[in-house]
Amino acid sequence: MSFTDAIRVVVSLELRQRVRAKSWYILLGVYVVIVAAISILLLVALPAFGWAGGGGVLSTIVYFVLLLGTLVTPALSGNAVNGDRAEGTLATTQVTQVSSTALILGKFLAAWISALAFLAASVPFLALCFVVGGVAFDTLLVSLVVLVFELGVVAAVGVGLSALLTRPIFSIVVTYLVVAALSIGTLMVFVLAGIATQSTVTSTTRYQDYSGSNGESVCSQWETTTYTTPRFDPYWSILMANPYVLLADATPTQYNAQGDVEDLFGGIKVGARQAQIAPELDRRYDYCDTTDGYPESKSAKQVVDSTVPGWFVGGLIHLLLGAGMVGLGIRATRTPARKLATGSRIA
Amino acid sequence: MADSGIEAVSLSRRFGAVNALRDATFTAPFGAVTALIGPNGSGKTTLMLILASLLAPDSGTVRIAGHDPLVDAAAVRRTMGWMPDVLGTWGGLTSRMGLEYTGRLHGLPLDVSRARADALLSRVGLETLADQPARVLSRGQKQRLSLARALIHDPQVLLLDEPASGLDPSARVDLRDLVRELAAEGKCVLVSSHVLAELDEMADGAVYLDAGATVSAERLDRARTSLRWWRVRALDHAETEVALRRIGLVDSQIRHDHLGVLAPVRDETDAAALLTRLIAEGVRVTSYSPAVGDLEHTFLDLTSRRDDDVVPPRPADPAYRADASPPPSTTAFQRPARDDSTPEEDR
Repeated sequence: MSFTDAIRVVVSLELRQRVRAKSWYILLGVYVVIVAAISILLLVALPAFGWAGGGGVLSTIVYFVLLLGTLVTPALSGNAVNGDRAEGTLATTQVTQVSSTALILGKFLAAWISALAFLAASVPFLALCFVVGGVAFDTLLVSLVVLVFELGVVAAVGVGLSALLTRPIFSIVVTYLVVAALSIGTLMVFVLAGIATQSTVTSTTRYQDYSGSNGESVCSQWETTTYTTPRFDPYWSILMANPYVLLADATPTQYNAQGDVEDLFGGIKVGARQAQIAPELDRRYDYCDTTDGYPESKSAKQVVDSTVPGWFVGGLIHLLLGAGMVGLGIRATRTPARKLATGSRIA
Repeated sequence: MADSGIEAVSLSRRFGAVNALRDATFTAPFGAVTALIGPNGSGKTTLMLILASLLAPDSGTVRIAGHDPLVDAAAVRRTMGWMPDVLGTWGGLTSRMGLEYTGRLHGLPLDVSRARADALLSRVGLETLADQPARVLSRGQKQRLSLARALIHDPQVLLLDEPASGLDPSARVDLRDLVRELAAEGKCVLVSSHVLAELDEMADGAVYLDAGATVSAERLDRARTSLRWWRVRALDHAETEVALRRIGLVDSQIRHDHLGVLAPVRDETDAAALLTRLIAEGVRVTSYSPAVGDLEHTFLDLTSRRDDDVVPPRPADPAYRADASPPPSTTAFQRPARDDSTPEEDR
């Protein structure tokens, strides 16, 4: 029996069980109703805020799909292995020609495919934004690819944890905690680490002094002041491990004539890229030199163009996380088993 | 092909502080049914899991049809069928589908899998329930499904862990016939059970596990040749008692249960001698048999002695034996103290 055949049989067995479960359809139905309601609300409400066209709506809907997808996937994957053990069907699979690698990979693929069914159910609403207009096709396409990838990562974490932890409820909850750590924890760590790392800025200034007796302006002496500023630039990769930031960073951005962004993705992308730019620590303001003018602030396009695309860093972190969990899961289900988790029964 | 289906040498396995298996050594031949007997917690299931290639022993060696599960688990699994003591069914799948999937997990082509599933469903008497979801089956029906699953790839070595539990009497007879048929086909069958009377009827040999170790041959011989009670059923029990006293048995050597009168017997020759005497005394015997089965007798004897030297209560040599010792005291059945001089029948 070839390796791919083994995976195919496991995937088919897993999906066959889910397709037969009523609860899966109910979950899918509830999900479609929620996505539909959100889409319609956004299509009606967002233009009132001045976010014209489908671009703003699309990015918001994609975020909702990511949110709901990462909420549903742990439930679909987090009991894949220990649930079978509780049902008494894991060991009967392990005494066949299917290796533990094929078994875990098959379970991961099946969990991913069932999570993708939820994504597929939301495609009509994403397509609606496309039809309503204002959305570039590549934005739609890239955000779909990132969604597929992210659901895969959560499915991999869920399946891996279900092999490592004994109780299904525990592994599902831990999978949710991993999703929360990525979605919220990364933001908190980024902000706190940035605040904890302060740098001293030396500001040297001179200015026109009109207080002279003859009313002539003279240049003042250079004055130096120091103050501290938080440093976020060493931590920008943490921010990129956030799936929402990753998604925004990966999608191609549309700029208007002034070089500014018009959708949620663009705004987040500019903010995340800004974090890469180290603050200037030696600032010199010469208000005597009138020829220089005031420094212009950079446009969104300039910020984005001057920084490194961060999505591949976040993507790599997620890839390593998912692959690592699946790898550990394979190791934990290897038979003949030498080590068993305390309190677990093999059969 | 190897000479024996199962060869286990000095197997041991501990779980944390618990020494589940200390020293299991035995062989089980092809073409025969071997019973695996031991009290609860003696390590039967641990031993089964090691033989089923699910658990690695801490020390010792296993060969299943000549293959070492630690070296080539796939070869072991091709030739070994395992029926676990835990009954698991894949949620929502019908019995037929579950069997087909098991076949495919074993690497059988779809059509072969289908044909085998059909044949086995009728062999275990589940054809009418084949297309019902497996989870609605009764315990006994699940048991039969589990047996069919163990047989799907036509294994040469069968490991049946408590196959008879939950079966009604007629299903037990069917099981016994099926197990005998499988042995007649040349397979090596290892059966563990608590229902010793049943194993008596189907097993050709037995392996006794006591506190994680297989019982040595000489200890087994001692246990087997110890005195045992035979039950005499007659039209008139009072008549039997009178006859037994006339033959020379004292009060302590005559017992009663709800079915008849019990008398101590050492072996089959003794049993025949006693029956001849009873008939000669004019007792109208309707039935004459051991009060407990062979395996149960040995089992009880072994478990009551363990490793200490306390002599358990057992009948003294009866009077009808040629080499009978002098009539014992009336307290012969009471548990003697350590320094008691009661004749030790089984030493």
